[in-house]
Amino acid sequence: MENIRKDFTTITWVMIPVAIAVNVVIGQLVVLLKLPVYLDSIGTVLVGLLAGPWAGALTGILSNLVWSITGLFPQAWAWIPVAAVIGIMAGLFGRRFKQLGWWLIGGLLTGIIAALLSAPISAAVFGGVTGTGQDFLVGFFRATGASILEATFGQGIVSDPLDKTITFLIVYLVVRALPARFLDRFPRSENVV
Amino acid sequence: MSAAFSLYQSRDSGLHRLNPLTKMTIALSGVATSLIVSGVWGNYLLFLLILVPLSAWGQITYSFLRAVFRVVWPFAISIFLIQGLFWTDGTPVIDLGPLSFKAEGLLFAVISVGRILLLVGSFTLMTMSTRPDALMIALNQRGLPHTLSYVVLSAIQIVPMFQAKANKIVEAQQSRGLETSGNLLKRVRALLPLVEPLLLGSILDIEERAIALEARGFGRRVKPTSLLILKDPVWEKILRWAIVALVLALLAVRIWLW
Amino acid sequence: MVYLKNLTYRYPRGESDVLHDINLTIQEGQFFALIGPNGAGKSTLCYVLTGFVPHFYKGKLSGTVTINGRDVFDTPLPELAGVTGLVFATPFNQISGARFTVREEIAFGLENFALPREEIIDRTEKVMKLFNLTDLAERPPTALSGGQQQRLALASIIVMRPRLLVLDEPTSQLDPVSTHEVFSALDSLINQEHLTVVLVSHKLEWVAAFADRVAILDQGQIAADGPPEEILTSAELTIHGLTPTQFTAVSLMAQRTGLIDSKKALPVTLDQAVQFFK
Repeated sequence: MENIRKDFTTITWVMIPVAIAVNVVIGQLVVLLKLPVYLDSIGTVLVGLLAGPWAGALTGILSNLVWSITGLFPQAWAWIPVAAVIGIMAGLFGRRFKQLGWWLIGGLLTGIIAALLSAPISAAVFGGVTGTGQDFLVGFFRATGASILEATFGQGIVSDPLDKTITFLIVYLVVRALPARFLDRFPRSENVV
Repeated sequence: MSAAFSLYQSRDSGLHRLNPLTKMTIALSGVATSLIVSGVWGNYLLFLLILVPLSAWGQITYSFLRAVFRVVWPFAISIFLIQGLFWTDGTPVIDLGPLSFKAEGLLFAVISVGRILLLVGSFTLMTMSTRPDALMIALNQRGLPHTLSYVVLSAIQIVPMFQAKANKIVEAQQSRGLETSGNLLKRVRALLPLVEPLLLGSILDIEERAIALEARGFGRRVKPTSLLILKDPVWEKILRWAIVALVLALLAVRIWLW
Repeated sequence: MVYLKNLTYRYPRGESDVLHDINLTIQEGQFFALIGPNGAGKSTLCYVLTGFVPHFYKGKLSGTVTINGRDVFDTPLPELAGVTGLVFATPFNQISGARFTVREEIAFGLENFALPREEIIDRTEKVMKLFNLTDLAERPPTALSGGQQQRLALASIIVMRPRLLVLDEPTSQLDPVSTHEVFSALDSLINQEHLTVVLVSHKLEWVAAFADRVAILDQGQIAADGPPEEILTSAELTIHGLTPTQFTAVSLMAQRTGLIDSKKALPVTLDQAVQFFK
């Protein structure tokens, strides 16, 4: 408990809403550029890395809540568990941040876990689809005889690991561009300096 | 009240005057019910007989329906096409040359869309008729740490600022010859010069924002006073418990029928 | 009100002292202006005066810092928040975001101090009147102009009734009209409350108009300290990379060309310039 409290400094509380806004705005920018990735969890990964897994999880949870409340993506709350796990994974792999290879493997694993977790949610709640352009993949897998769960997982496993690896890479590049004096301010600064 | 970045629609209605906790109870029980009800038309009926009249009470029917359909529409198309056409070993009912709609797939689609309609609808009804700050303060008064409501409310206000910043960066980079359209490779290359200034700038802001908050006693460990007073009459408390009891009863029936 | 003795400070990972052996006493009720080139350590000194050094920024700090009779080292930040208030340059970063209207934003600090509701309402209304924000009371803080936001930031600090107000370049990101807005708000404040103010600003015309005392900070050390008429017309000003006010510059030119008697004291404000040229 005491350790968790140490992660939640004022800096952490201030970073979380900024991270949520980063998730939302970059997520929208990617849609604008019509890229085949989401990049809507850069902020979550950043908080996990700089303030630990629990702060990361909270960022994911509240991020999806904010997507929902603001009406930009009202069904986002259904994926709250996935968002939380992304933050936790970033927090756990934070210790490996300095070895870029390990850090990117962390991203890849996060993507696989995200795909595993989202598939049952999509299948049980949303009729096995995402309501986005990605659904042509679901259709493809269904046409080849996959079950609803298999098809949504197939769609996820094609897009999520790539998406999360790129997300982790972007976070790496950005954190590397920040001065050490500034990074010192964060509770898990030992991860990055 | 800024409506720029929130679904909230300001009206002087009974629905709007309900305690935020009551509306949250309705929303969450709507979500739970959508997952419990297994019949084909049950969720559609609940949507029509409960949510739509409530939205009329809140004088937001038109914008409510528009917001819900905007979300449900793409799901409906995807589900009907994918599960309707590609249902494994289904019974063909509508023949389209090499493809055909299967009866089982269409049934599944009707059930799924009903569920999505109810769960998106009940959440949307709450967010459209409840100020986010009122909701968070109501939760604070029930013991939710005020730091959490700070996070949600400030995120809601920071987003439009960041959107404006992002637009400026996109325009600036475009005027320097950065192409944000064209083939995939070009668009991927466009990404980093757009994302990096936005990210770096916003991360560097964190330090100052923390100082400004500390300067206003944010770090104090006392229960803050609330300027906003929320009415919570007895009948609303009873109503909330009644709704919870109803959902639990529904769940019990569902398990018993299983 | 402020008592600094042999203050030396170095940021974590810093290679040299940002502030070096500073001795400074500021009397209660004084309007003290701090000027100096970029990188002189002005902002850091502001953080010392508000307790953010050493409580927020760690690093190596030695010497004595006493604010309103309290040792800053031993007083935690939340305790200092009511004693000393800080306003800085960027309006947007000072808006908490936790409240959706101007009125509630001003009240936010008092809510955190758990004051009785009636007192919060009373103090908020008074401050809104003082800063001419009453008409904007129901507006979202994020929808205001930069100048309005800066007035709001100032109001949000003043409502907490600090004994020491520290203003770090409060108008550096504002246009002339907004700058005027903020300084007029400040003016009404000094006339109404007995408050000690430390102002850091590059806008020397405004410094001259308000300050009782001016000090030049350069390379972490106080290079000059005295009344504005003396400091702002001294040779020290240009030595430390600062530009005199237009009133002083024009008057100096007039003396050099023999237009005006060179023994006459140089003006720093408009009123003094009018007297000078009479």
